[in-house]
Amino acid sequence: MKRTLSLLLTLALLFVICGAAHAEGGAPLKISIYYNDNPTYPFRDDWLALTYIEETYNVDLEIEPVPFSDYGTKVNNVLTSQGDDTPDVIFSQKTSGGIASLALNGAIYAISDNPDWTPNFNARVAEFGLEEELETCRMSDGRLYYMPAMYDIPVYDGGLILRQDYLEAKGFEAPGNFDDLYAILKAYKEDYPDSYPLTTIYDVGFLERMTMPSWGLSLGTYNSTSSQVLSWDYENRAYFAGAISRQYRDYITFLHRLYAEGLLDPEMTQDDASTTLKLATGASMAVYAFYDQIGGWEQASEIEGFRLALYPPLTGPSGAHHMPKARLMNGIIFPVKTTQREDFEQVVRKIDEILFSEDAYMVWSLGLEGKTYTMDGDQVVFSDDILNAPEGITKYMQNAYGCGCGGTQCVFRSALEMFKNKSDFAAVNTEVAAMDQAMQYVPAAPAFDDLTAEDTTLLQGALGDAYAVWNDAFIRGTRDIDADWDTYVQEMKDKGMDEYLALFNQFSRYQ
Amino acid sequence: MKKAGVSKGIRRREPVLDCLTALVMTLCVICSVTPFLYVFAMSFSSGAAITNSHVFLWPVGFNTEAYRTVLAYPHFFRAYGYTLLFAFGGTLISLVMTSLLAYPLSKTWLRGRKTVMRMVVFSMFFSGGMIPNYLLVSGLHLTGTVWAILIPFAVNQFYLIILINFFSALPSEIEEAATIDGLDYFGILLRIVLPLSKPALTTIGLYTFVFFWNNWFYPLIYLKSSQYPVMLLLRNIVNGSASASEGTARNAALSIAVKSAVILVSSLPVLLIYPFFQKSFVRGMTLGAVKG
Amino acid sequence: MGRYWQLYAIMLVPVCYFLLFKYVPMLGNILAFRRFKPLTGPYGVSWAQPPLRYFQQFMGQEGFWQAFRNTLIISVENLAVNFPFPIIFAVLFNELTSVKARRFIQTVSYMPRFISTVVVISILSQMLSPSTGAVNRLLSQVLGLPRIYYLNEPAFFRPLYILTDMWQYTGWTAIIYLSAIAGIEKDLYEAAYMDGASRFQQIFYITIPSILPTIMVMLILNIGNLMSLGYEKVLLMQTPTNMAASDIIDTYVYRLSLGASTPQYSLGTAVGLFNGTIGLVLVTGANRIARRLTGSGIY
Repeated sequence: MKRTLSLLLTLALLFVICGAAHAEGGAPLKISIYYNDNPTYPFRDDWLALTYIEETYNVDLEIEPVPFSDYGTKVNNVLTSQGDDTPDVIFSQKTSGGIASLALNGAIYAISDNPDWTPNFNARVAEFGLEEELETCRMSDGRLYYMPAMYDIPVYDGGLILRQDYLEAKGFEAPGNFDDLYAILKAYKEDYPDSYPLTTIYDVGFLERMTMPSWGLSLGTYNSTSSQVLSWDYENRAYFAGAISRQYRDYITFLHRLYAEGLLDPEMTQDDASTTLKLATGASMAVYAFYDQIGGWEQASEIEGFRLALYPPLTGPSGAHHMPKARLMNGIIFPVKTTQREDFEQVVRKIDEILFSEDAYMVWSLGLEGKTYTMDGDQVVFSDDILNAPEGITKYMQNAYGCGCGGTQCVFRSALEMFKNKSDFAAVNTEVAAMDQAMQYVPAAPAFDDLTAEDTTLLQGALGDAYAVWNDAFIRGTRDIDADWDTYVQEMKDKGMDEYLALFNQFSRYQ
Repeated sequence: MKKAGVSKGIRRREPVLDCLTALVMTLCVICSVTPFLYVFAMSFSSGAAITNSHVFLWPVGFNTEAYRTVLAYPHFFRAYGYTLLFAFGGTLISLVMTSLLAYPLSKTWLRGRKTVMRMVVFSMFFSGGMIPNYLLVSGLHLTGTVWAILIPFAVNQFYLIILINFFSALPSEIEEAATIDGLDYFGILLRIVLPLSKPALTTIGLYTFVFFWNNWFYPLIYLKSSQYPVMLLLRNIVNGSASASEGTARNAALSIAVKSAVILVSSLPVLLIYPFFQKSFVRGMTLGAVKG
Repeated sequence: MGRYWQLYAIMLVPVCYFLLFKYVPMLGNILAFRRFKPLTGPYGVSWAQPPLRYFQQFMGQEGFWQAFRNTLIISVENLAVNFPFPIIFAVLFNELTSVKARRFIQTVSYMPRFISTVVVISILSQMLSPSTGAVNRLLSQVLGLPRIYYLNEPAFFRPLYILTDMWQYTGWTAIIYLSAIAGIEKDLYEAAYMDGASRFQQIFYITIPSILPTIMVMLILNIGNLMSLGYEKVLLMQTPTNMAASDIIDTYVYRLSLGASTPQYSLGTAVGLFNGTIGLVLVTGANRIARRLTGSGIY
């Protein structure tokens, strides 16, 4: 008994040691990193892009892939405690919400304190003409606490995805407004009564995020104003109480209609695999999702002629808009604990170099010239394995080479990104670019001081929870939109909607 | 379990009661077993059969691809390694600490015993709560290390009391004889009391083992993701934030089978050891009325 | 002290451990009255203004009261179902005479107790999946019911919580009653048999009255633990949609602090302290009643 026990214990230890084994080396600069792990391209430490960068720039990146569902929580907790497990660098973050309060309390190193340490980042900002937008990322103390990832031109990388083969077979034109979409869904439901034509990925909030702007709204967990229940009035440049507005009432009425007629999948919270199954088997034919998923879905289906396509945003009561897009996105922060490293300046310079330098971001985006792609004039030509990958270029490059992964790729040049997709992607993007304000700007977060930040957080918790519950009840019809609307508005007011709105407008950067 | 409470000789036949008993017991057995069978069937079925809803309690399109996928996934092994480390390491530390505390406390005449006992009992009723505990563990610089899991749960008050009661019930003559033979208290604990207490130690050891094996919440808040044990990995796979294999896009149709395989493989050791130690487990239940 | 120093030496490390890991966090509750700032230690930077600021904050939150109500309702409903069920199970089990059957049923019905809640909820979500789960398939094919995403429905949260508890713990909890039944004098049954009592009568006039003290103690214990639900399971079952029914105090605290994108440690500590105090009152009250009833306390 004793012997088996000690044997097992040794075995367990061995497992752990083997699992944690890393190439040890003296020379390369060691940097530990929190990385937001996406299950559609799970992190691998043997990704070509990663190993190449490590070798070329003589750096040892100890990347900690954190599952995305726990990422925000983990980041908050290490920033708050700054314990031994605090990484040197945190990817995919910005200083909004709770992080803002942490930054103001000194938990995060301010990038703007030493601008000469980040020459590559500065160069990209100048090149893309992002100076003005970068100003809005500063906190109320006037300092900048993160290096955002950046686009030269926002890319329309996701939206309404439909079964193109079905549309063609039934003679449907590409939908232009939501009535067209309704007609398509309705036709599919008649052909396949057991189906739920429109499904969701992750949760219904994802669909709402991409459709609401056509009603002049942005609400929910990831809304454009980070307020959950407020929306931005683009005409008057001010916040308004979106969650209790007339527009929202119209919007939710539309969604409820889809639900009530069996056009919207009642399983509204589901993972990637579940959505894949539904689309691949024809249980659904429409979804709001990212373009890079299409390849995988087409590959998974055994239906003859199965083809999915991305369509431009549909026209609603407030025009045709996709979710607002900023050219600056989540980026890099340094916990203040890292400043205790003697070689801190080196760490900052190295991170700047391996993420924002011309040579490095090409690797993160396209891989190695000669191996994954070659240049033909100004055209990118990918290698055969990539071109022929059934799940699509983007997804394949993410999984096989670690190229194009959110988090590590911090510079996006849309002309290059277009090569990673089939020609239809460029076509849709051209179409969207020609539309009027298809992707509106993301309003800069208000510059709250520390105490106000605490107050708004408390209000937001209560309001956001209540909104989520009511939103769901309205869609499902467990609450009647007409009969219960006043009760709902009153409840939101009781929870401090007016006060919350006033705070946002008071501290707004657009005065 | 003790023998039947009613001896056979004096039973009347009572069809209603017998039927009721048979019915309820059969239902209970079916309910207990069905979920396991269901997952078992799913894990060996083909993706197509699952997608088209053919599978119920027996595999359809039998294949072992799900298991091969799971076993080819390096993160799964790493997670399994941590689970083994926590379960064995945690149990070992817990047994040592609990014994060291229980032995002096089993001496009713020891001065200060009452104070310590009160301290132990009060901490069963009232605790620091989630946040003070988190701040303590992080203040001790344990977060991100395996000690954050191994140390804070080393003494469970219920098991401590079981062990104190067991030690107290040992005949005092043996200890007296040992004292005459020149053994000190360390010696008595090590050479006499502990060997005599194997049944009790086995019982609380097994409970502790199961606790550490099934633990996922504390690893979630205290550990780095590279140290996650298998239960937390499973939770992340099921909530969609982790994949069960490398490159999920290829295996979408297989994903349910793979989840099922992870469920079974992660529970297997506990399910396997439990029947052999059933008696020890039951003893713990009757000794201390332990739940959860 | 004399030679007993060795005994003190033996328990020195565990006692220190106990003070550090059980009592220091208790003192840490002081954070409920202090303002927490990151990087300035676990006990906050200054006294809250007013001192009960964080208590007033959560008392004014509808979300807190919803969690409070949910905790009570789930606990009471769970008690109403899962307290009597193991007793019924034990009594009926006792009517079985076949040793083989008894052993088989015991092994099978105890097993779920050893399964992690993660596994339980994973299996549950697979079985209830609207697209591929067996339950929806059976209900829609056999009874023609619509496919429902049960795990997401607030109305189904409590039944599912209670059913999974029943599945996991019935057999196991019944052990206590079975051992109480095993302790009943055989003569009682023989005498009843001679008097012509049916087995139903024996159950109602001998078995149940004999195990009544055990039942009472268990009931009191359960009432004492009313505020401490299995929050790990709730956390696993929680979806944004079923929140109205599934948010309990412990998950509320978790969402305020460790699980929050904006951690509010002071507020979370205040809620936790409030909950812990109610729990303490319930347990000591229950213990006092038990002492009065049985002559000795449970602890």
